[in-house]
Amino acid sequence: MAKKEKKKKLNRRDFIDRGFRFSIGAGLVGLSGLLAKKSFSNEYVWQLDPEKCIQCGRCATECVMTLSAVKCFHVYDMCGYCDLCGGYLRPGVKKLTTAAENQLCPTSAIERKFIEEPFFEYHIIEELCIGCGKCVKGCNAFGNGSLQLQVNHRLCDDCNECAIARVCPADAFERVPADNPYKFSGNSKDETKKS
Amino acid sequence: MKQKLIIGLSLISLLIVIVFMAKDFFRGSNRSQTNPYEYKLDNLKHIDPELITYSEINQIKPGIINPIAIAIDGKDQIYVSGENKVVKYNSEGNQILTFDIDSSSYCINVNSSEEIYISMLDHIEVRNPDGTVKAVWEVINERAVITSIATTDEFVFAADAGNKIVYQYDLKGQIIKEIGKKDTLTGAPGFIIPSPYFDLLIGTQGKLWLVNPGRHAFENYDFNGNLISSWNRTSMLLEGFSGCCNPSHIALLSDGSYVTSEKGLERVKIHSPNGDFKTVVASPDSFEEGTSGLDLAVDSKDRIYVLDPVKKLIRIFEKK
Repeated sequence: MAKKEKKKKLNRRDFIDRGFRFSIGAGLVGLSGLLAKKSFSNEYVWQLDPEKCIQCGRCATECVMTLSAVKCFHVYDMCGYCDLCGGYLRPGVKKLTTAAENQLCPTSAIERKFIEEPFFEYHIIEELCIGCGKCVKGCNAFGNGSLQLQVNHRLCDDCNECAIARVCPADAFERVPADNPYKFSGNSKDETKKS
Repeated sequence: MKQKLIIGLSLISLLIVIVFMAKDFFRGSNRSQTNPYEYKLDNLKHIDPELITYSEINQIKPGIINPIAIAIDGKDQIYVSGENKVVKYNSEGNQILTFDIDSSSYCINVNSSEEIYISMLDHIEVRNPDGTVKAVWEVINERAVITSIATTDEFVFAADAGNKIVYQYDLKGQIIKEIGKKDTLTGAPGFIIPSPYFDLLIGTQGKLWLVNPGRHAFENYDFNGNLISSWNRTSMLLEGFSGCCNPSHIALLSDGSYVTSEKGLERVKIHSPNGDFKTVVASPDSFEEGTSGLDLAVDSKDRIYVLDPVKKLIRIFEKK
């Protein structure tokens, strides 16, 4: 009877001790579960392979989202920060200025900022980008391919019946793990190998 | 009677639905539609035929999987390097030597003794005229991307696109000077090399000429590393160069004019020693769209050899 009394009455120290142990145990179990889920995750999402993309314009016209969830991303590590940027300026421009008639992007979704002579930094305005890939083609042709199209998974509906993938003439869309949903291409050494 | 009519109409309706579904199923994805956002370079790619004063007179198909670089020696012998192999031809275009290399070669040059200098990305291999290894010059560092080599009787110059610098070697392979390094104290601006295109050569007056592609500039240095002169031409039109990395390759004619090749607008042109546009050797329609890395060489008769890495051909052009 006395033992039962003892069991029933937990002193504060024991209570805190047990609570602390329980929290650590629960944390460990939760962390293991999360890691296991990540390792064995079967969730996949659609992504665009920049190596296969031919900038056909379908990403702008076929996506079920308005505006398209495919956006231009800028891989800053690769960029040459050029004044005469093939992704920013229309071919054949006479002046290298930010005037609208000189810009290649149909929605003026790229803005540039002077860094130091002769370097400029280019930034994509996500809300304006329609994913047409015109700048990507210009960058690939005259630059080193630092502008790349990608499905923006913050905007994508992830319906898993990607309307663009169905019509992509280059079969550039593929399923990638949801926990690593972006697929950028290239770095300086890879570029060397390609060229 | 009424029931038969209803059944008949239902069947016709069903048939129409099936036809539409079949059309959607088989022809639903119109993959050949035109692109409303087409990136058009047609105007720039079209070149007035009057301006093209060279014609293609011959082609050689080198037996290399991915040919990358070309050089010509004093006897007009042709050297082509690429993936795991170097091939040498006599001036008639007959193969006279081939030897294996460990990996891809990014550029090749031959000195007056017919010793062959081959860039293996981050180090240089020196081969005897028979292709045997004479020396291996050490790895510079892991960022090194050697894209061009030029030789004199005293020095070897190597353009390193990775480190944005030119190394001056003695003939034993020791680096004795770094040329063109960015220096905020002296105000030296350094080279702008956004991608692995950084070519150099020894000019007619024995000075070092190199391309600073980010500025679309040709720069002339003495062997002490001092900048003597330069010119630049920025334009998408024939008068200049555009994009981040043009001209991608250069070669020298006997009158001191420069042969240039470009990426983006795939064309080969000639500029006079002061930089003015002179003529077109090959227009963009001579190459597959997207061709880059057109390496150049010139023989003693001023014929221009263009290594086309897409068609995998040595293409020889001569003045009309």
